[in-house]
Amino acid sequence: MAFRKSKIVECAVTAPSFFWLTLLFVIPTIIVFAIAFKPADPYGGVGGGWTLHTILTLSNPNYPAIIWRTIWISIITTLFCVVLGIPTGYCLARVSARWRHILLVLIVVPFWTSFLVRVFAWKVLLHPDGFLKRMLVALDVLRPDSLLLYNDNAVLLVMVYTYLPFAILPIYAATEKFDFHLIEAARDLGATRFQTLFKVFLPGIQRGLITAFLVVFIPALGSYVIPDIVGGLSSEMIGNKIAQRTFVDRHLPHASALSALLTLAVLVPLIAIFGMQKRKSKEPPTLIETA
Amino acid sequence: MSKKLTSVLLLSIAVLGLLGAGEKKPVLHVYTWADYIKPELVKRFEKQEKCKVVIDTFDSNETMYAKFKAGARGYDIITPSSYMAKVMFEQGMLQDLRHEFVPNLSHVDAEFLTLTMDKEMKYSVPYMLTNTGVAYLKSRVSNVEPTWAMLERADLKGRMTMLNDMRETLGAALKFLGYSLNTRNEEELAKARDVVIRWKKNLAKFENEQYKSGLASGEFLLVHGYSGDILQAQDENDDVAFIAPKEGLSMASDDLVIPKDAKNSELAHRFINFLHDPKVAAENTEFINYLCPNKTSYQYMSEEIRKNPAVFLDPETKAKSEVIEDLGPDNAKYSKVWDEIKAAQ
Repeated sequence: MAFRKSKIVECAVTAPSFFWLTLLFVIPTIIVFAIAFKPADPYGGVGGGWTLHTILTLSNPNYPAIIWRTIWISIITTLFCVVLGIPTGYCLARVSARWRHILLVLIVVPFWTSFLVRVFAWKVLLHPDGFLKRMLVALDVLRPDSLLLYNDNAVLLVMVYTYLPFAILPIYAATEKFDFHLIEAARDLGATRFQTLFKVFLPGIQRGLITAFLVVFIPALGSYVIPDIVGGLSSEMIGNKIAQRTFVDRHLPHASALSALLTLAVLVPLIAIFGMQKRKSKEPPTLIETA
Repeated sequence: MSKKLTSVLLLSIAVLGLLGAGEKKPVLHVYTWADYIKPELVKRFEKQEKCKVVIDTFDSNETMYAKFKAGARGYDIITPSSYMAKVMFEQGMLQDLRHEFVPNLSHVDAEFLTLTMDKEMKYSVPYMLTNTGVAYLKSRVSNVEPTWAMLERADLKGRMTMLNDMRETLGAALKFLGYSLNTRNEEELAKARDVVIRWKKNLAKFENEQYKSGLASGEFLLVHGYSGDILQAQDENDDVAFIAPKEGLSMASDDLVIPKDAKNSELAHRFINFLHDPKVAAENTEFINYLCPNKTSYQYMSEEIRKNPAVFLDPETKAKSEVIEDLGPDNAKYSKVWDEIKAAQ
């Protein structure tokens, strides 16, 4: 009886968000997938009937380069964010409460400024006649004719800058809950620093790492504004191609096919990770055994 | 002083109140680009016609079109670019113009009309022209010549931009090669593609918006862009100069059109007539720096604007210039070549 009651409460609590997501996420996604199988009309609308033509044009030899670039920029961004997020999260969890407060505010403060303004600020920082450039030239790090803006590295830099807080916060949250006595215990039992890090600490904050990975990797795949503003001639990502198909080519089915591809690219790693986690949770929790 | 101000304010409130209490005036709803008409002219028209003009703005043809497709109602006049005006006409979204209400159409530059898609002004009247050319910083670029070949300058590597617009950028290359920028010939397009790929090696990026501020701030030294934008950058930085490449360039026109379901069609016709009054057209051109193709109006303009190569092309260049047309299904040929350019290393 109690079981059934809790089930009803659970449904009632999740119903609003379930309804919200169905209405504003699931249904639009299904529409996007459907439009990908529709013909386009020359006036920017969607024609009648069904066709496989648009899907077949995805084999266009120019796409693999863009898809590959989208994936590797996103992966490298995620790696940088997670690798930088671990020591930051560790520091945040270990410093005194006062300092933790100040540091957390410093991490969150940039969000008070519009995302676009921050990206434009990078354009000023990396300006070819700017302070940073002149300083690096004076220090003999750069040649006078080398450029800091409009290349893949600029895109990567601004993406890491933008997504870093999203990686730090979940890692910090997981680290805060981590029992640091485990590290002492591992060291007492003869583990090297290296082993302690990889066998005790990182598995201990695994959940935080997975969340950090997802919240950086998924939005990074859909990036559009950053490659548009600081990217160069060959920094186009799938997001930019979708925008071109929608606004310039007025070809909604094509834009939809690319969006569907992007959705699948996000769903596949997501399902893989959930699958892995599920399998893991069936195994006996190894951490407690070693500890 | 402040007393005077207060009384003026009170008086104006009283006047406004009286006006509001009077008979309801007809309202003309205009949907156009930002800063695209001299504000005093709007006031003059309101006074003359005893009406109210409400101006709403859009920032791209596509946004405007999408809004109409989604069922926007209540506008009496819109100013799309010609290609979009044609698309809307073909969709049955526009009214046929009644020329008897617009006697000033006789002043419209006949030479320009031969270049347009709607030569008889059946559904559209050209409002403002813009040229797409090259702009540069005088102090930083030497040996300037009026040609598209400027985009090949290796000494400006990484400091140049071209428009992120397949028709404009391929159009520049087609003109450079001496072809029509509305070509449907795939061989010519392939040659133009190779030219753009060659130019691309020295470009910083393809850019539609930021090139203006980039040029004014010295981030870019040479850009491919619209004359109106460049004249705005000139206001910020005197060092900016415009060149009209001698091989010819693309001219675009934004047209005055009346949507099918306009509530004040007659007033809209009178507004078109007002804007093409030669003296009004000259005043408007002087203010917004785009050219209203009203032949009679040219004599009323200042020497300064008549000598500006960004506003008035020299006849030889003009003869080689063209208006970009919507190519319907053949647009796909441009999309394909454009994708190849974007993918080329």
